[in-house]
Amino acid sequence: MANAHVDTAQTDTEVKTPSTWSIIWREIVRDKVALISLIFLVGTTGFVYGISMFLEQSEIVTVDLFAINEAPSEQFWLGTDYGGRDIFGQLIIGTRNSLSIGILVTLMTGVIGVVYGLVSGYYGGTVDNIMMRIVDFFLILPFLMIVIVFVAIVPKYSIWSFSLIMTAFLWMGIARLIRSKALQERELDYAQASKTLGTSNFKIMFTQVLPNLSSLIIVTMTLNLAANIGLESGLSFLGFGFPETTPSLGTLLGYARNPQTLEFHWWVWVPAAVLIFLLMLAVRNVGEALKRATDARQRRG
Amino acid sequence: MGFLEVNDLKVHFPIRGGILNRKIGAIRAVDGVSFSIEEGKTYGLVGESGSGKTTTGRAIIGLNHITSGQVMFEGKDLTSKKSKTQHVRKDIQMIFQDPYSSLNAKKRVLDIVAEPLRNYEKLTKIEEKLRVQELLEQVGLNPESILKYPHEFSGGQRQRIGIARAIALKPKLIIADEPVSALDVSVQAQVLNFMQEIQKELNLTYLFISHDLGIVKHMCDDIGIMYKGRYVEEGTKQDIFNNPQHIYTKRLVAAIPDIDPQNRQKQKHLRDEVQMEYQQYYNDYFDNEGLAYRLRNISDSHLVALPEKG
Repeated sequence: MANAHVDTAQTDTEVKTPSTWSIIWREIVRDKVALISLIFLVGTTGFVYGISMFLEQSEIVTVDLFAINEAPSEQFWLGTDYGGRDIFGQLIIGTRNSLSIGILVTLMTGVIGVVYGLVSGYYGGTVDNIMMRIVDFFLILPFLMIVIVFVAIVPKYSIWSFSLIMTAFLWMGIARLIRSKALQERELDYAQASKTLGTSNFKIMFTQVLPNLSSLIIVTMTLNLAANIGLESGLSFLGFGFPETTPSLGTLLGYARNPQTLEFHWWVWVPAAVLIFLLMLAVRNVGEALKRATDARQRRG
Repeated sequence: MGFLEVNDLKVHFPIRGGILNRKIGAIRAVDGVSFSIEEGKTYGLVGESGSGKTTTGRAIIGLNHITSGQVMFEGKDLTSKKSKTQHVRKDIQMIFQDPYSSLNAKKRVLDIVAEPLRNYEKLTKIEEKLRVQELLEQVGLNPESILKYPHEFSGGQRQRIGIARAIALKPKLIIADEPVSALDVSVQAQVLNFMQEIQKELNLTYLFISHDLGIVKHMCDDIGIMYKGRYVEEGTKQDIFNNPQHIYTKRLVAAIPDIDPQNRQKQKHLRDEVQMEYQQYYNDYFDNEGLAYRLRNISDSHLVALPEKG
């Protein structure tokens, strides 16, 4: 065969096409705002988780009547609240708790949503119809009301139980997104080819179709992370999140409901508010860069 | 018992509508097709877009639901429950039309070609790698390129990867669904000649689906012509090209381009003649729904869909 020589003439020294990760990395490096955001995020996360290992949560939340509402000083870097509790310590542990919840909820909703959407979209037809009606049912439930009822019922309330209740009402968006994409993917020739090669439906779904949705999943989950951090803070602010014994960014912000604190003790709530703002903004910046990286037409790098 | 026998195959797609989404009609994509293929031969399925030729191929391999009819492969009925036919399906493989979408863009060549091996043969990692390299060599690709991704190959090379995947399990029947129509003409010849080479080498049987009569003439031993889900004519290559009986076949054969410019006048004249005949006798060759009649033998190998009145 004459053409065999042409094919074999190609060498392995030619430039490898970049992998998904290197494309994403290049896009983030090119976008300075996203790079700074990423450094800030990694730094904050590392700092918060690292320091909180040496801090005792019970010690920090112990009421100290001799140090109520103190302004920032040598002893209390960010002052104290109305119970004499150190704000800086609360901020560290609170950020850790808020981040943990955000990450847990994002991962759990991600896993449930991806699997659910993939199965629904891949099989299509009646299976899809039934599964999507279940999603519709979850969507019309009054989320806020059920969370409030839950808070009233459950006596002891941890990061895990809070994450689970949030997950139960937040997995539908990603499920619908993945389902619509899976509906398209299953019609493509490569999925059909896998079928003719004797691959089981289950394997096609998770080893053939899923990798083709990876960029969509990465982007959606990053943007969801920002939303979930915000949501936790919002609920805690309204008083339906954690009790004061488990500090989070939301509980710190919640002190600002007291007009006295709002007006005269700014050190209680301003750091938490700024941190929530910065965290959400940073996650979002990184997410936007990821989103551009997955679309060749929008790439800057 | 033939190698592959298709009896009165029907594939209908329901049209749903109205309140309650009831079935209000059906698209008869394939409507009563019968043919048989002998081992080691190439059978060409020809027809215009929407004539049901691809659907026929996909129904045989099990990608489309068969409404009724029978597909017998080496005496086993493929239309029965899937679990029973699992080991038979190994012997039937498919080459897809579009080499760009039929390879998973996120998989390396090694994973793509090894996919059927992983499903049916228990090989160790090293055996598997050697087998894939052997297959790539067989289709004329560099065995060193197993770690590359599909987009690093040209269209012709990608189609060869598709062929390597199809022959990995040493199948007996390959359904080639317009395997070269997405490739440019110079590459078409390469792939077609290569397909003929491995046919001899591995004693393959092809069901060759195409709309290009030139390619069919080059590749096939027997030919079936489809129109609107039905057969209009079936016969050997000689029957179809030298002695077309149905008006539709005549028109198709007349439309094959001729390179020789000296024949241009003659060719044009012939085409006009056929066109006249086609318009004049259209109603005689097709029933009042515009569909072909039943096939009738006019010789041992040659069947034509002619009306009862003859």
